[in-house]
Amino acid sequence: MINNYLALSIVLFCLGILGVVSRRNVFVVFMAIELMLNAANLGFVAVSRLHVNMDGHVLALMVMAVAAAEAALALAVIILLHKHKGNLDTNIFSLLKG
Amino acid sequence: MLATYLFFGLALLAVLGALGLILFKHPMNGAMSFVVTLISLAGLYALLSAKLIFAIQLIVYAGAIMSLILFIIMFLNIQERDLPIDSNRWFYLAGGIIVVAPIAGLMIKIAKSLPEEHPELIDGFGDVKTVGHLLFTEWLLPFEIVSILLLVALVGAVVLAGKRGVN
Amino acid sequence: MVHNVSYLGFIPLLPLAGALILGLMYLATCQGKQISERLYGILGCIGPVLSFFMALRVFFSLRGLPEQERFLSHVAYTWFSTGELDIPMGFLADPLSAIMLLFVTFVGSLIHIYSIGYMKGDARYGKFFAYLNLFLGSMLILVLGDGPVVMFVGWEGVGLCSYLLIGFWSDDRSNVMAGNKAFIVNRIGDLGFVLGMGFLFWGIGADGFDYLSLKANAQNLTAPVGLVVCLLLFVGATGKSAQIPLYVWLPDAMAGPTPVSALIHAATMVTAGVYMVARFSFLYAHVPAAGEIVAWIGMLTALLAAIFGMYQDDIKKILAYSTVSQLGYMFAGVGVAAYSAGIFHVFTHAFFKALLFLAAGSVIIALHHEQNIWKMGGLRSKLPTTYKTMLIGGLALAGCPPFAGFFSKDEILYSALASGHVLIWMIGVVVAGMTAYYTFRMIFVVFHGTPRDQEAFDHAHESPKVMTVPLVILAIGSVFAGFYNLPAIFGGHQKFSHWLAPSLVEHHPHGGVGLEILAVAASVVAFVIGVSIAYRKFSVPVAEPVYKGFNKFGYHKFYVDELYHTVIVRPYQFIGKAISRAIEPFVIDAPVQASGWLYRMFGLAFKVFQAGYVKVYAIYMVIGLSVLSLLVSQSLN
Repeated sequence: MINNYLALSIVLFCLGILGVVSRRNVFVVFMAIELMLNAANLGFVAVSRLHVNMDGHVLALMVMAVAAAEAALALAVIILLHKHKGNLDTNIFSLLKG
Repeated sequence: MLATYLFFGLALLAVLGALGLILFKHPMNGAMSFVVTLISLAGLYALLSAKLIFAIQLIVYAGAIMSLILFIIMFLNIQERDLPIDSNRWFYLAGGIIVVAPIAGLMIKIAKSLPEEHPELIDGFGDVKTVGHLLFTEWLLPFEIVSILLLVALVGAVVLAGKRGVN
Repeated sequence: MVHNVSYLGFIPLLPLAGALILGLMYLATCQGKQISERLYGILGCIGPVLSFFMALRVFFSLRGLPEQERFLSHVAYTWFSTGELDIPMGFLADPLSAIMLLFVTFVGSLIHIYSIGYMKGDARYGKFFAYLNLFLGSMLILVLGDGPVVMFVGWEGVGLCSYLLIGFWSDDRSNVMAGNKAFIVNRIGDLGFVLGMGFLFWGIGADGFDYLSLKANAQNLTAPVGLVVCLLLFVGATGKSAQIPLYVWLPDAMAGPTPVSALIHAATMVTAGVYMVARFSFLYAHVPAAGEIVAWIGMLTALLAAIFGMYQDDIKKILAYSTVSQLGYMFAGVGVAAYSAGIFHVFTHAFFKALLFLAAGSVIIALHHEQNIWKMGGLRSKLPTTYKTMLIGGLALAGCPPFAGFFSKDEILYSALASGHVLIWMIGVVVAGMTAYYTFRMIFVVFHGTPRDQEAFDHAHESPKVMTVPLVILAIGSVFAGFYNLPAIFGGHQKFSHWLAPSLVEHHPHGGVGLEILAVAASVVAFVIGVSIAYRKFSVPVAEPVYKGFNKFGYHKFYVDELYHTVIVRPYQFIGKAISRAIEPFVIDAPVQASGWLYRMFGLAFKVFQAGYVKVYAIYMVIGLSVLSLLVSQSLN
């Protein structure tokens, strides 16, 4: 039973990776990252159930807190980005180009 | 039995929501479909008897974070023409699936190796009280650190987004 | 018996500290507002004068000791220690170095004081005093070092400072060339010194490499090694003391300011070679053949330089060749194993040569940097003090009794005669006559007769006190320094030779009163003949002569410079050019350039991957993760 939860968690995580890789819209990339965090949370909670140990729950809480912090900052960055470039394309930033 | 059906239903919804997130062109649509994923995940937590996480998933994630994202999307008033053209989207998706397949394969292999048994629950598993007790005893230091992290994020967000005089 | 005194280290340290302070002050202020010349002058003179007083203290404390215990030493610290070689930074004051110390610091201090006046108005006043102090400090290390290695430090130091000071007026290319020449020619000699030191260590260095241990072990040195060591050390001495074949740098060294010339010629630098041979007298005493070579080279140098000196028309070059010539005498003296006579000539020479140079500097300053004697004349009335002091210096140089030069030169010639070197003695007497001739040719042309350049004559004026007082002091020294070593024939006791006896290994030849009278008479006759020829030719107003035949050959210094240039410098330049054209671009430059090119190509190749897009980096990360997963899942099976 738990294996199914974990398989779902893996599928969601891989979908998150695909979102990050294939899309250029900042919002979608950001939400794909959130999706990956949620997939990890599901894994935590599932394993927590397997071992009847609530440490996984606590960790999931922590992840959520981090996600919230990340959301706050990332959204602020997105606003700045939009202000500067008037665009949401991740590809307009290529300052690291060699 | 009901739990199994519920699981598969919720899992299907979660995957569909995630697919919608990465396939919808407009971020608004993607965000709405992501909310579906989050709510189904909350249901899955409930199935796993994680009562506190279930509640927090609904309140914090599906509620606070997603509404913040939606708010920003609407605040920026994104039109169809503002959207970046994902010209090679399908190419990237296909390539991404090929690249991600080994990762998924490995993790599923690991998941399969876990025991199949379903141990009995203890009293008060996943309750607010028990998890809270754990949080404030064994996990006190990480909890405090996370509180500082949130504070920093708060200040940082204000500094970043509230910058005046730029452009 | 060696006494340990700690103040010995301060003697070289004081001028060196002065050099450091002055140099830093100059560096700090050369861009902005200058510090006043007076301050530089006073600071520059403090170190040498204090060193002089300490040298006096050393001298008197040595005198207070019984004769065989006259060794003061001080080991400041262990400089380096490798294997069986253990070199302390040690100083040794014995009668020989005490005498050197005394006149080096005394003459050096006077030259410093004189420089205050001479360098007036120079833009690099502070730098000059810094170099001058450094020069003196190096010389003191050379003199005080307790072993060949410490001596070598000072040896190189004076070489460096001579380079810095000869090329001091570096705006003029020829001055820089002269500095280079001095430095490069000295390098050749230094190589000899280093090799000699190496052989010496190989021979007897194992039981301590300082003078006292070496002296104790000198008899263990095998004859061939001893000869090699002595000759190699002498090569070093020919470089530093301007002997054949390496004398060519010294006349060119006149490019420097006159106090520098005085310092190089009188107190420091050139006397180092003589001092070194005397210092190693315990080696030379074992190898008579080496002494023979030294004596002959010295006397030939004396002859050659005297010939050149007779044809020069630059006042400083005349003095330069006279220095080379006198150094030849000194080497002849130490070569015939009369070390104390050689050192005594170094001692008296320091006074009258410094005097002559400083007086010449006074003339040059009076005529606004005119050095050609054929543009001077009749300056006797305009520069009375300079004239009188220069006359005294000239008499001393020419060997007129009873001036200082007479006694010391006569001592050398007598030693040569008494030890059986009749030919050397005869050449020496001839050279003495030539010395008298060219010295008085210079004095007559410069100070007597009528002015040749009326305008310069009218503007000439006597130098300030700060310059004439050192002249007078040196003139007194030039008159009386000779009495210190009065031989028995004049009723003296040869105090100087006896004083040096503990430091040197020599036996005084006893030729008898007849030989002594012969030597004295020959010297006096040579002097009289030389002066009277000069008087006949130059006391009347004469124009600049045109040289023909042998005279022209002499005027051009036998074309030695040109010969060196053709035989040594040109082939060297050719080889250098060939290497720089044919070998350097391919053997050295090519690999260096290629390695640079290689890295650039690497960079260009990997640049492609740095697309700059965040997504691309994410893709790389995922690909890496994927490959890792593939590997791990394979290993799990």
